[in-house]
Formats: sequence, C-alpha cells, structure tokens
Amino acid sequence: MSASGVRLDDPGRSVLLTGNEAVARGALEAGIAYASSYPGSPSAEVLEVLAALAEERGFYAEWSVNEKVALEGAAAASLAGLRSICIMKADGLNVALDTLTALSASGTKGGLVVVVADDPGAHSSVKEEDSRYLGKVAHLVILEPADPQEARDMTVAAFGLAEQLRAPVMLRCVTRVCHASGNVVLGTLPPKPAGRPHIGCQERYITHVAYHRIQEERLAQAREIGEGWPFNAYQGPPEPEILVITAGPGYLYAREAVEVLGLEGRVGILKLGMSWPLPEKFLLRHLKSASKVLFVEEVEPFHEENVGYLVACHLEEVFPLALYGKKSGHVAGPKGPGLGEIDVDTVIRALAALAGIPYEAQPGDYGREARELVKKIPRRELGFCAGCPHRASFWALKTAIALDGREVVVLGDIGCYTLGAGRSGHYLMQTVHAMGSGVGMASGLGKLERLGFSQPVVALVGDSTFYHAAVPALINARYNQSRFLLVVLDNGTTAMTGHQPHPGSGVTALGKRVPALSMEEVAGAFGIPVTVHDPYDVKGAVEALYRLLRQDGVRVLVLRRAYALLTARQEKKPRVYVDPKRCLGDACGCHRFCSRVFGCPANTWDAALGRAKIDETVCTGCGVCATLCPQGAIVVEEVTRNGA
Amino acid sequence: MPGGPGDLLRQVLQTGQCVSCGLCLDLCPYLQAAAERVVMIHHCGLEEGNCFRVCPRTPTDWEEMDRRVFGAPRADHVLGHYRQILFARATDPVVAAAGQYGGVVSALIIFALDGGKIRGAVLTAGAPGEMPQPALAVSPDEVLACAGSKYSAAPSLRALHEAARRGVEPVAVVGRPCQVLAVRKLQAVQGIEAHHLAGRKVALVVGLFCFWALEPGFHAFLRAVAGKARILKVDFSPESMLVRTDRGPLCKPVEEVRGFIRPACRECFDPTAEFADVAVGSTEYDEAWNTLVIRSKRGEALVRAALEAGAIEVRPYPPERLPALRAAVRSKKLRALEVQASRGESSYLLIPAGYRQALTGRDQR
Repeated sequence: MSASGVRLDDPGRSVLLTGNEAVARGALEAGIAYASSYPGSPSAEVLEVLAALAEERGFYAEWSVNEKVALEGAAAASLAGLRSICIMKADGLNVALDTLTALSASGTKGGLVVVVADDPGAHSSVKEEDSRYLGKVAHLVILEPADPQEARDMTVAAFGLAEQLRAPVMLRCVTRVCHASGNVVLGTLPPKPAGRPHIGCQERYITHVAYHRIQEERLAQAREIGEGWPFNAYQGPPEPEILVITAGPGYLYAREAVEVLGLEGRVGILKLGMSWPLPEKFLLRHLKSASKVLFVEEVEPFHEENVGYLVACHLEEVFPLALYGKKSGHVAGPKGPGLGEIDVDTVIRALAALAGIPYEAQPGDYGREARELVKKIPRRELGFCAGCPHRASFWALKTAIALDGREVVVLGDIGCYTLGAGRSGHYLMQTVHAMGSGVGMASGLGKLERLGFSQPVVALVGDSTFYHAAVPALINARYNQSRFLLVVLDNGTTAMTGHQPHPGSGVTALGKRVPALSMEEVAGAFGIPVTVHDPYDVKGAVEALYRLLRQDGVRVLVLRRAYALLTARQEKKPRVYVDPKRCLGDACGCHRFCSRVFGCPANTWDAALGRAKIDETVCTGCGVCATLCPQGAIVVEEVTRNGA
Repeated sequence: MPGGPGDLLRQVLQTGQCVSCGLCLDLCPYLQAAAERVVMIHHCGLEEGNCFRVCPRTPTDWEEMDRRVFGAPRADHVLGHYRQILFARATDPVVAAAGQYGGVVSALIIFALDGGKIRGAVLTAGAPGEMPQPALAVSPDEVLACAGSKYSAAPSLRALHEAARRGVEPVAVVGRPCQVLAVRKLQAVQGIEAHHLAGRKVALVVGLFCFWALEPGFHAFLRAVAGKARILKVDFSPESMLVRTDRGPLCKPVEEVRGFIRPACRECFDPTAEFADVAVGSTEYDEAWNTLVIRSKRGEALVRAALEAGAIEVRPYPPERLPALRAAVRSKKLRALEVQASRGESSYLLIPAGYRQALTGRDQR
C-alpha cells in the first residue's frame, strides 16, 4: 500500500497503481469529502490510502465500526451535498444491505459510491459471494472495472452518475483488480472539496414503498445512459460467429484467449462496464449478429442469467443463437463451473471448444512434470503467524475443555482466529458464519437448557469483531438471560486485513489518539462480568478458562496480547533457542510438541541433530513454547537495548 | 508390556481406573489434571510412551517388581516384603503434633533433609477442607506445612518432575501405595534419559497406608460438616470420621463419606505400599503412634539412623494387633480381586496365580 503514486498532482502521467490505489485515486480526482470503510480483504487498502491522504486533501476518512455504520456515515455526507465513498468487501455488503436498499429508495444528493470488493476463490474470505445480485436487489447501477486504469476511470465516472441519478452507484471490484498493479494515467486533482455541506429544510430522504417506482425509473434512465456509455464496448468483427460477453478481469482473459487461438476474425468481445442495468439495445444489436455467445464472468452466472432472459424475450430477433458459459459447463475453473476464479486457460478451453479448434493448454508431459514439481514444494497450511497470541489461546482453550471434561461447544467467528477451525486451532471451532454470529448463536444455545441442552458453550470472537457485530448479540444475551462464555481474542488490532485500528485501539484512521473503548467497559456496562488474561501465560489462561467454564450466566474472558508481528517490530525481541542438551528429541515422548503440535512456524526440527530448533528469523520471542516444553529445553534470553 | 497414550486412555483414563498419582502429568504436554481428574489433552500419536509405562494402573509385573525392589520373591502375600513392623513416632513434640498420629513420616523426612540424605521431598500440601496440592518441600518448615493425612488423590508426583526441573536431588517421595508403585515403575524405565533420571533422583520412598482415597467432593463435604469452625485435623476409624476443629470435635459415620470413594480405589490390591522403603499408617490402636513397616534395606538404614539420632522412637508392634492388620489387608486384596473380576476387563493387577492362591488359602500367620 502506498499513497505516493496516488497523491501525484501530475495529470496525464502514467503511474503504476494497484486497483485499490486506483480506486482511491479516482475518489481523489472526484473530490470526495468523506470516506469510510470497515477493513476487509481484498479492498482494505483503499481506505488505508485515502486515510493517509485525507489530511493533505482536506477530506474526512474513518475506519467505521462496521460496514452498515460506514455506509450511513458516507450517506450522511451525501445528503449534506458532499461526494462520499464507502468501501467494503462482499460480506460487508450483507451487513450494510439494509441501509443500502433504503438509500436507493430515498435517494441521495452528493455522489455516493459504494465500492464492493468480491473475492472469487475466497483467498481471504469464508465465502465467494457475487455481490452483483445484491446490487440488483438494491436497484443500483453496478460498474465493473477490469483493470486498475478502469478502476480509476470508473470511480471518477461513478460519482457523476450517482449525482445524475441521485442514488448510490456500486463499483464492483474483484481480488484480481484490487490487488493487480497496472499503469494508470492520472487525471486532474480538483481543489480541496468546495461547497458548504448543507441539508435544506425542505429536503427529505424518506424510505417508502412509493419510491419503488422512482427506483425503476432511475434504472431505466441508467439503462439509457449505458447504451452509449464508453465502458460498454464491443471489439471484433462486425458479424462475429462467437460473441463473448464479459466484465471485469474476464475481459482481459477473453482478449488473451482470442489472441492465443488466433480467433480475431471469428470472435467478438462485448465488454460490459455497467453490469446492471444491462444496455439492452446495445446487447441485442450484437446478439443478433452472432450464433454463439460465451459468458466469461466471476463468480456466478449473473450476466448469463440476465442476458439469457433478454435473449428469451427477443428470441425471434436473435434466433438462432446458442448460449454457453457456466450453465453449459463450458466456462469452468479447476473447481467446476461457477466455483472459484477463472483464468485465461479457462477461457481458452471454452473458446477452443466453441470454435472447434484443438487446443491443449498443457501440452505433453506438462501435467505430470508439474505434479512432480509440486511435491518438492514444502507443504504449507493455513496457520497462525509465529508468536501469534491466538495459538496460545487455542492451546489453553483445548486444555481447559479437556480438563472440564464436558462436551463444550465452541462457536467461531470471522477473523484470523477463524484459522482455529483448522489444525492451527486444533479443530476446536464447531461453527463459523459471519461477523458476530458465534455470539448470537451462543445466546441461542444458552437458552436451550429447559429443552435438555446441558453442554457448556464458548463463543470465540476477535477484538475487532467484538465491536463490529458481537455487541448487539451480547446485549441480547444479557437481556434474555442466556448463559455462555464469550472469549475475546484481543490482539489489539484488525490483524487479518493488515492491522487497522478499531474502537479498542485508541487511534483513528487519521492517526489521531482518542480514548480507547475497552471491552471491559462495554461488557461491564451491560452488567456482564469480565476477566482479562494474557494468553502467553498459558497456565493462567487455562485456569481462568476452567474456572469461567464452570460459572453460570453470560461472562466474558478477554485474552489480551498485542499482535505478535507488530510488537516484534517495535520491541527488541528476546532471543529464544533450544538447548540441545536438554531437548531429548524423539526420546522425549512429547513427539515433537513444539514443532508438530503447538505448531508455531518458528518451532522447527533439526533433522541432522534430531533435536527441536527455533528459526530465529521467524521467532518473535514470545517465549510461549518455552513455558510448554516438557523438558524446559527452550531458553528465553532477554536482549537488552544496547545489544548485550 | 508396551503401550501408549491410546492404551492409557482405553485402559485407565476412560475406565475410571486413574488414581491421580500425578506421575504422567508433566511427562509430556498432553496430560493435565484439574480437581484430581487426569485428562489427555491431545493424543500425541505415539504407539508407546512413558505415560503408559509408568502408570500404576497399567499392567504391572508384580513378581518382577518384587525382584527389582527387594531382590527376591515375596514370602508374605498379605503384607509384602518387610523386615520389621514397629510402632513409631516423632520425638519432637512439634513434629508429632503436626503429623498424623505419631508424625513419623514428617520426622523421617526432616531427618533425611537435615542429614543431607535428600535435598527435597515430594509431598502433598493443603489444609483440611481444601483441595490438596503437590508440593516439593526443601526445608523442615515446608515439610511440616504438608503434615497430616489428606484423604484425597492429589496428583502429588507432579512435584517429582518439578524437582527434576529445579535440579533438586536426591529427593524422597511420600505417597499413597499407587504412587509408590508409579515411582518404582518410573525407576524401571530404561534408556529414556530424562525420565530415567527423574526416577534415579528418588533416594527414598515412603508409602502411606491407604484403603481408599476420596473424590474432591469430599473437601466441600468436610467444609459443610465443619461449618464456621476451623478444621484442625481429620481422622478415620473403621466406623467414623473424626474432625477436630477449633470449636471441638465433630464425628460422622464413615458411611456418609463412602459415596466419595474413588472408584479406582475399589480395585486397589496394595493398601500398605508394598514397594516402599518404609510404609507408615495408623495403628488403629494408639493415636500417639504410627505403624511403621520397614521394607527395604535402605528403609532399614534410614530408620536405624533416625533412631540413633533420636529423631524418632519406636516400640514393638503388639503381637496381638498383627492378625487384625493382616485380616484387614487380606480382605482388601480379596475385594479388589473380586471387583476386578466383576468388571471383567484387563487390569493393572496381573496378579500371579501363586499370589492369589496364597491369599485365598488360610492366613498362616
């Protein structure tokens, strides 16, 4: 993430930017006055860049407590006549959706652009949602950039469109746009936001079913705009045999596939920059000239369905025409049609099949050779970072549950600690849904006692998630007298997405120091007893968990320890090493507890010596493994500042 | 016979046969205990392990153990190997008052500490009515703080590993008969450096007579019995529990605590710590004295030295009391065999046929 390219006041210059930076640049050029977000991959960097530039560009930026509040803040700026941007990942749109559907009905004033980043393949998500469907539900215009340049261009255009339509416009990005870097030609930076924010006494922004008609009229207006909009474009022969309809990075894949297969004379590419509403006349014009249509998009068959419906309505005009894509099985990534990301190979295979061209994407022994090579790559599984306090917390929880002896139910949540559903957390988590869901479920399970449910319940939630969505569930639990133990895994930051601050951090997106809102204060104010413990003290944490598991009512345990990689950067870390004389190797009986079971990446195995070893370049010096080694073979040596 | 964590789980932990001796705790990171309940946190995946080797409730070769500890097969199938049975007590009135009955265990440990024979002792701490805890005592005061019977299954052998970690050696172990057996099994483990060392660091094993241990609920029961009074000492006779408090004595029929007896104890074949160097119990006769069974040469040497130094005094075991002791022990052993047979599972009691026959016949002594 870098603001240096984004801030350049050098119109016409071509700068290498990521898609996220390009969106931020577009927002700057559009003269935003307000930016808000809740961090989520793959779009977390947009607000990071904007926050870094907010001061010098004279606008406001914040990390909001959740996406709904973020959107409401941005909407407020819009109602006051300012341009505003709100950035979220696909899952965040679900949280903000109630407000978004209402804003679409009530209408807005200043340009409000809602950036929603989808994560096909779920690289850093729990699901791969296609947010275009929700944009359609909200009666919104959906723009889809294909590369960083378009991300900048469409962002700028989106503000104008939003003001023209007096409604929010959704900019739908995907991971391969957000994280890809490309040359972006910069536009002009406006003077600092002009105009005094104001809501006139006659202005009304009321959500009412009566405005449904206006929403439809707005979409019709947008459709007309889309017909001649430069981002909806066709390239290829006037009468192509095969028409590729695509949007987003699929467009780049399609272009490459056509080139690779030498199909320039037979295939045309219709790129939709506006995925909703569809420019129907433009589409029909090209559909009539083709005999085969191939849909290239991620993740769900959104265009395929909507264009398919358009084709059905105009069957006589377009006949004969065959549709291919996910539904026909032609566009299928390694996981299958409609699952995960697609790539150039996916499109080449599909186009080759339609064009009747033999094409082998992996000639000869490629597949076998690749499999052989893959074997040589060290296996890496999802796991907590070295020194991560969560690893200690999960071991403590596993221990406390075993000691408790009852069948404790562990409800998970969304964050780094979701990895606790896997080996890194000893498979303890039994549920993972959405931000704060574990706490709501715990509240429900805690009410099943009269129906014979007697298992103790533990909900795990991260610090940022606590503020984001756990608080209402906690209030619900307290009000309805539920019973469970809420364990907050507090590492003091939103670690998963790049350690953005949150209400408990005591610092805002603009770097301003503010009073931290502690979980103790929040839960304490609800009358819920709160215990705070350091997870690095595993023994003490086990005792606290064991004791709290046996208590009744709603209770909270905050396992607090600052994010390991951050502290390792800030402090002089102790040197941790294995005393090879004390480590018994495979004679110990622990069966390589440190490297194999506890599983910190810094705990490795010295095969030559047959002893445990610490990878000092990875080790953060937390020393937790030293407290758990049954032989006391791991030494923690404090290193003083003067290097002694 | 080899076995690993899986076998320990199946044969001991999941069948309620664990006696909470504490020796497997801290051997590896996977065995932990709370409220005298030992649990396996994680299956390490090994097929063989020291947890199984040292557990007093995994199969034990008793004849081999007799040979290993005493160098000969046993002649007495009721009381095991012994050289002498005596009445004994501490000469120091402070020690005698702190200890159970004559305080001879505390006196012997303090004597061994003072004389440099040991550097520490693995004991059990905790006031009556509280959950007892493992303790590594390194001074006479710390020994006295642990004096008195606890009646529940504190995993005190955990402190043996603490001693190894802290470099406190050699040590004495004072424990229930099952704990004595565990220490002997640890000492028998060959070739695995650390645990072998931990076993070798034990210079003296003092066994306590034990006909059963009670589950932790007993401590709360005791607090309820005492009410606001402070409990000074607890004692059991065959019929009743006597609680001495600062507000006077309280008495409860023993039936009221029977429900707390640890199920594993019902299968115990060794109420008098047959593999200890010396074993100590009540006399069921004279509250001021202990029964002292000198079993090994090492135990004999210690007692002789303690006598010469005037740390303890002894008197002959009244011959007319011996049949009662033998009968109680014999009947306990026979009950254990019955319970085990009724459970119909493999057990730690790989009692040789000869041992059984000697028991079921008439006691000749």
